[in-house]
Amino acid sequence: MKILTEFEAKKLLSKYKIKITEGRIAGSPDEAFDIASRIGTPVAMKISSPDISHKSDVGGVLLNVKKEDVIKTYEEMITRIRKMVPAANIEGILIQQMAPPGHEIIVGLKKDAQFGYALMFGLGGIFVEVYKDVSFRVAPIEKRDALAMISEIKGYPILKGIRGRKPADIGSIADVLVYVSELAEKENIIEFDINPLIVNESGAIAVDARAMVE
Amino acid sequence: MLSSIFEPGSVAIIGASNNITKWGGRIIKNILSGFEGKIYPVNPKETLVQGLASYSSILDIPGEVEMAVIIVPSQFVIPIIEECGKKGVKGVIVITAGFGEAGHPELEKELVKTVRKYGIRMIGPNSLGIVNERARLNASIIGRLPRPGSISFITQSGSLGLALAEWTIDTELGLCKVISTGNKADTDDVDLLEYLGNDPSTGVIAMYIEGITRGKMFMEAARLIKKPIVAIKTGRSKRGANAVFSHTGSMAGSDEVYSAAFRQAGILRVENIDDLFDTALAFSCQPLPVGNNVAIFSNGGGASIVAADECERQGLNIVDLEVKTREKIKKVIPAFASTSNPIDTAGTVSFRIYNDSIQALHDDPNVDAIIIIYVHTLLSNAMPPAEAVVELKQKCHKEGSRKPIIACWMGGAGTEEGVELLKSGCVPNYPVPERAVKVLAGLIKHREFLETVKIGVEAKDKLGRCK
Repeated sequence: MKILTEFEAKKLLSKYKIKITEGRIAGSPDEAFDIASRIGTPVAMKISSPDISHKSDVGGVLLNVKKEDVIKTYEEMITRIRKMVPAANIEGILIQQMAPPGHEIIVGLKKDAQFGYALMFGLGGIFVEVYKDVSFRVAPIEKRDALAMISEIKGYPILKGIRGRKPADIGSIADVLVYVSELAEKENIIEFDINPLIVNESGAIAVDARAMVE
Repeated sequence: MLSSIFEPGSVAIIGASNNITKWGGRIIKNILSGFEGKIYPVNPKETLVQGLASYSSILDIPGEVEMAVIIVPSQFVIPIIEECGKKGVKGVIVITAGFGEAGHPELEKELVKTVRKYGIRMIGPNSLGIVNERARLNASIIGRLPRPGSISFITQSGSLGLALAEWTIDTELGLCKVISTGNKADTDDVDLLEYLGNDPSTGVIAMYIEGITRGKMFMEAARLIKKPIVAIKTGRSKRGANAVFSHTGSMAGSDEVYSAAFRQAGILRVENIDDLFDTALAFSCQPLPVGNNVAIFSNGGGASIVAADECERQGLNIVDLEVKTREKIKKVIPAFASTSNPIDTAGTVSFRIYNDSIQALHDDPNVDAIIIIYVHTLLSNAMPPAEAVVELKQKCHKEGSRKPIIACWMGGAGTEEGVELLKSGCVPNYPVPERAVKVLAGLIKHREFLETVKIGVEAKDKLGRCK
């Protein structure tokens, strides 16, 4: 059993044609600055460690970091987390494009003893935390199943566009669901989340992901 | 072949007893009560069991033995199976408990190995037996043969399974087969679905499930069967055990996954025991509606509103009737009663009111299904409206109508005759409107399954992996 870092988990996603926010791991403040300059600021900075899967619990996620703050932020985050979790093996900090505005979606997989894999879809944030407004299918699924899965959650009208907001690209979410259902068996997944997948009118992009594999 | 278990030409009861308070006595008594094939009791301590010559071993029986029911202490089961194998027995039902369920998985594995060595099919161990009404065979500890019907019921062992079987018989639900699966060591749900799917006398499959093992195969087997499958799966509340790593892990408890799997396989999952048999009954005697447009007809306003509310909850549409339909109904109901759906006769009841109105509703092209309610009062008679419903049901369905007619005779005492008539006329009847509506929603759901997920047995070759 192995837990993948966000970087590794997202590499897996891009292998299956799922769009991810671009980013690279920086091993030093200068490298962080270089990467940030190349992908365009502001950036998201996230601690990268196989021993830390809940990054924000240790203050390992900072968003909208301006170009002039990248170096200072790098140094502070590393120092703070080293102190908080001395045993953690820290690879560096993931410097990443900021996600575009859109709806937060959660897509996940779980290995199931009876049926192989369960695939989950829901709106992210409070919708999944509080209302548990999610739908399930047994993988693999076809696009038709994915569309049914999306339409059966209570929050579906939100995706279709309420109060003058443009409808989200539901087809692109369905594609992600189909791709995720494909990767389950091939990649020996035990548990897996894309949280969030950001979707707006022009498509869906995976912003964060975590995976536990065999 | 499972047919050797359900339709045997000859049966040996190993562990047969003269004492009918013992299972070995009860089962042979049950088999004797209807089965017309050869019956051989086996018990080395007796010469005569319930009037039949008893054999000390199955190997002493002169003729062929197709099936054996085994009720002996667990340590003797495997040697007995060896004898069955040598005798050429094709199927066994092992009633004996004390295997996997009692902490002896090794003994159960050995048992499976033994039956497979001889190519014997086995139900059990720890089964309460099987009933096949068509063969008048009650090889179980269930009290008596059920009323004939097209519902086959698979139940996982245990006292609840037995109680359910007894209860369906008490309510005179028409049953074809009752199968107590026991530990499912050899024959499991997948095998049984395949068998019942091909069984011409089974029209509806009802299942009481605690857990299944071959999940993917189970889904595939169910998708191949176009007959309705209604299931209750217990243990809903269990959440995932390793719920720490991912959100999905914490949300995808086994129950959610079962629900998804059932839906993808076209299995109608129901919430409770009432729903299971309510729905199975409707499937066994009503056509599937084409759409979800419902007409409700009642002699009481309150009951029709309850029905309409439940329709809304279940996503069924209370349809607008054609003007012509309303004119026809207006002729027979009091002037002050309303002819808009749901229709309420304002308390008046007669054969003609029910007959003419239901006929009009049935002929309305906007209507896909009809719910007929009768609320009993001291001033009304439950029989004439029941007669009208039964007559129309039989006429319309003979003409190939695809509009189900569901009845709800409310009021208990005083309605018995009417209720009995509905039952014998094959009109599904329920004591409260919500149950009638839920059943109708189930029929509609199954039609959707046929359009979306069911592929039918003809697709089996193309699929090429269901075995």
